[in-house]
Amino acid sequence: MSRRPTSSLAACVWIPLFPLRCEEARHEGLSAYPTALLAPDTTRKLWQVSSLARHAGVKPGMTVSQAIGLCPTLRLIEPDPVHYDDCFARLLAALNEISPVIESGELGLAYVGTDGLEGIFGSPGKIIEAIKRMLEGWNVRMSEAGSTVQHSNLPTFRIGFARGKFTAWVAASRSKPDEAVIVPAGAERKFLASQPIAVLPLDTDIHSRLRQLNIRTLGALAALPEAAVTAQFGDVGKRLWRLAAGRIAEPVEGRVTLEPIVAALTFFTPVGERELLVHSLEQLIARALNHPRRIGWRVHAVRLRADLEGAAGGSWLASILLKDPTADGDRIAAPLKIRLEQSPPTGAVERLVLEFTAFAPGTAELQLFARDAAAAARAGQQRALRHAAREVRMRVNRATLYHVIEVQPWSRLPERRYALIDYEP
Amino acid sequence: MVAPARAPLRTDRLRAVNEPRPVAVELDANGKPAAIRRSNDNGGGHGGQEETAAVVEAVLEMWRIDDEWWRKLISRRYFAVMLEGGSRVVLFEDLVTHEWFMQTA
Repeated sequence: MSRRPTSSLAACVWIPLFPLRCEEARHEGLSAYPTALLAPDTTRKLWQVSSLARHAGVKPGMTVSQAIGLCPTLRLIEPDPVHYDDCFARLLAALNEISPVIESGELGLAYVGTDGLEGIFGSPGKIIEAIKRMLEGWNVRMSEAGSTVQHSNLPTFRIGFARGKFTAWVAASRSKPDEAVIVPAGAERKFLASQPIAVLPLDTDIHSRLRQLNIRTLGALAALPEAAVTAQFGDVGKRLWRLAAGRIAEPVEGRVTLEPIVAALTFFTPVGERELLVHSLEQLIARALNHPRRIGWRVHAVRLRADLEGAAGGSWLASILLKDPTADGDRIAAPLKIRLEQSPPTGAVERLVLEFTAFAPGTAELQLFARDAAAAARAGQQRALRHAAREVRMRVNRATLYHVIEVQPWSRLPERRYALIDYEP
Repeated sequence: MVAPARAPLRTDRLRAVNEPRPVAVELDANGKPAAIRRSNDNGGGHGGQEETAAVVEAVLEMWRIDDEWWRKLISRRYFAVMLEGGSRVVLFEDLVTHEWFMQTA
């Protein structure tokens, strides 16, 4: 099994309210209105709210009726988790072009391992610039994916650079939109000391107890003896103290890079006819595409090798980088066929080997967006729902599917408690 | 394929759930429901409406609501009842209009 690559230096890329930003990016003019995203679970409460809605008093966790009462012009949006997973997978793929060590957090939060990148890009500032350029490219691809999107609607990101994920995250949370905060090596403790305790991964109970003890900054927490904090809050307290004191620098843990997928064919007698080689190539592509490891990925780079007949041997090689990664056999075969036509092997071929050497997250099927099992399950569920909804609509010739949402669940009048809203999976 | 971008939901597209349906109620000597008659819409083009009746087996619970007197008074007398056959429904009398309605329990 491959070891996960790690990096102690981390750049944290954070796009706050990522799902809401994805919706704003694909709905023209949406950002001009107070907007709220419904929760993807069954509570049908508000999940994320735009700043305009927040100014009107709307907060996450409110029911629809509370929110509408405060802000009658509120635009409600049904969540589309598959789309957010897809956008996030593309973001991770874009960052992967900067560094092989990428770790994803929640939606919109990713860590880029930057160990060794100074040799390629230079100082941390230059590395940040490279990440920004990559993110701008991702933004442009987002805008190409959405037909009506305006550039001003595209998500803004925040970047923090430091040793260890926690300090990098705190730095990102302190940065201004589209800017970065760099914490120089050795300055972590000083940087953390002035930060509010809210940046720690605290539950509300510990947070309120710390406030009761008048501990409002990480510096104040770190000034206490470690043993005292541990005695008061247990293991969690020990970890919090160590984070606050800059004693923990958790490395970025990247995903394992996919190994090449190889399909080979050894001929009984060496083959020189181009038609037979093309036929063999098509068979190899079909076999490699059916490989279980390929599921969920599109092919980005292909290599075709041929071992040639004769005592001297010799070989032939064609390497192709597909401009648009694909899982379509004909599109993978096309450039290789042209190569076989224009510069064929110089002798009869004894063995033909096809390798898929680089991959990109898939787009042709829903589950190809999946970055984890939960996302894959959601994608499958969504597809099944869409199919069922289409079937129902075809049979009864009108929309008959609705979501039940809480309107005034506390009302004494039963008909006011819940309402139906059109369901369009 | 990515799901096509959908238009944001509009709050004026909300549909009520469990809306009260008019029902005719026969009362016993104590003023409690004894039987109900309601019209079932069996679909246009198939003879219009059909009336069904059911005897109230038991009154399970009673309560009264007086609300929104500052706007348009809502005054209702509720009865949670069990009909013959065992189904449970909620009946209420609108004490302003003296009409009866039925809701799902």
